[in-house]
Amino acid sequence: MNRNLFIREIKGNAFSLVIWTMVITILISLTMSVYGIFLENNSKILAMMSILPEGALQFKGISNVDDLFSVLGFYSVNNVIYMLVLGSIYAIVLSSGILLKEEYNKTAEYLLTWPLTRSEVFTSKTAVVFLNVVFLNLVAAAAGFISMTIVKREPFSVNAFLILTLYTLLLNLFFGAVGLFMSTLVKRSRPITTLSIGLVLILYFLYTLSKITETLSKIGYISPFKYVNVDTLNSEYRLELRNLIYFIGLSLLLTILSYRLYRRKDIYL
Amino acid sequence: MSAPIIDIRDLTKTYGRDRGIEHVSLEVAEGDVFGFIGPNGSGKSTTIRVLLNLIFPSGGIAKIMGMDVVKDSKKIKFHTGYVPSDANLYSHMDIDEFLGYCLGFYQTGSGEDRIAELSELFELDRKRKISDLSMGNRKKVSIIQSLLHSPRLLILDEATMGLDPLMQARFFELLRSENRKGMTIFFSSHTLSEVQLLCKRVAIIKEGSIIKVEDIETLRKRQLKKVRIEFADRADNEVAGLGGIENTPVVSGNTLQFMYSGDITELVFKLMGRKITDLTIEEPSLEEIFMHYYN
Repeated sequence: MNRNLFIREIKGNAFSLVIWTMVITILISLTMSVYGIFLENNSKILAMMSILPEGALQFKGISNVDDLFSVLGFYSVNNVIYMLVLGSIYAIVLSSGILLKEEYNKTAEYLLTWPLTRSEVFTSKTAVVFLNVVFLNLVAAAAGFISMTIVKREPFSVNAFLILTLYTLLLNLFFGAVGLFMSTLVKRSRPITTLSIGLVLILYFLYTLSKITETLSKIGYISPFKYVNVDTLNSEYRLELRNLIYFIGLSLLLTILSYRLYRRKDIYL
Repeated sequence: MSAPIIDIRDLTKTYGRDRGIEHVSLEVAEGDVFGFIGPNGSGKSTTIRVLLNLIFPSGGIAKIMGMDVVKDSKKIKFHTGYVPSDANLYSHMDIDEFLGYCLGFYQTGSGEDRIAELSELFELDRKRKISDLSMGNRKKVSIIQSLLHSPRLLILDEATMGLDPLMQARFFELLRSENRKGMTIFFSSHTLSEVQLLCKRVAIIKEGSIIKVEDIETLRKRQLKKVRIEFADRADNEVAGLGGIENTPVVSGNTLQFMYSGDITELVFKLMGRKITDLTIEEPSLEEIFMHYYN
């Protein structure tokens, strides 16, 4: 890793990290602030939900209506979009651009002609992606935990919350690895931001679609969102070895492949 | 004789079905000012990008300072400076920040002094943002970043593009001064007059292959002559079959023009019996020699 490049990238990406962190933190806090009002209107909400088809509830991530009234259930249903989807979009946009921007901005003609190896470029920039994604997750999780502690009416399972936080981080890091991999495959030097965001949204859509009907349930397995499994977010929520292997294994595999490809990549300017 | 600072053997780079460079071989001696000339798309930038390890060769080998450009790229770059044709710098930085960032990659203690010295030479305000700079000023920053570590080898790719004539003259003077101190300069350009001003030797590249490597003076002093004959009546290809005709003679009205490297006596004999009103035999310019190789 090259210290000079690492520090430059940390500084260069600090502004967008702060903006993303602030937006997600504010969204989580605001959502959790209405939990009290939600509980006070539980009869109306239950009546409203009773007329909704089961598929619509499943689509929203509600497998058991009672879970929705627990603070952890409310947190997972209402905040899943922020950290699972927005966090993944942040990770993939950052990682797909961090190497590629040197090509489409044509600054690679400087960076890659200064004395540092491709490996150093890759590891320095990948370390920045990793640290930024971890930072975003830690701050968002802290905001979620503090909000829940303030608005809760009954104790909630900290264990389940920590497992969800870990899964969310692993999911975001997985998309970080996907972004890196995609950027090393690109032959023409142009941004792939739209493609990256589209991929996250399509995979999330496939996951939600798979929950609506039994016949489509199998397609959920091609989406990484499936392996976070927020449907059973209560004290029974467990860290599953299969899911850990899926996230960590695939992320490592994609990162290693990206590293190997980048070391031999022709830089077109 | 010492080992060449740039040693390219049979270097090939292809882009799928497209040609890049084919079997390029070239040697540049340490301390030389070497011109690399060819029109746009001839393979100059591809050769340079292989040397700088931006792209990987499809075949052959290239060495700088005796080191392989792929395996020892980092070591080579400690002693190499590069000015690309386009000055696409980090636009969000100011000049000082950019040069400081660049300096951070080199292990040199005198970099700050060098930056100050070169900024003064090029009359550059280092506090200005790169995004506010003109093409010429960005080029000056690009030149400074290539020289701040006092490299042994400087690679220039259309380096004068965007510089005004005054700054171009100052830059050339700087290059001559650095060359006197021992720096080797590899000067790629499509403008022969620039190469002529600075370089001792030149390689001409055409459609991805080197077609000539020669001393500038030898190139100029070759026996190649530009012949122009004006006849009293309509001209024809009067020199057909004569040895030493280097190109297809151009017939226009009463005039016949061609490049000739043969015996002048034989030419005069060949023209006997024809009424000639004017005959000019002169040294072609370097530009004409260059175009001759291209045609």
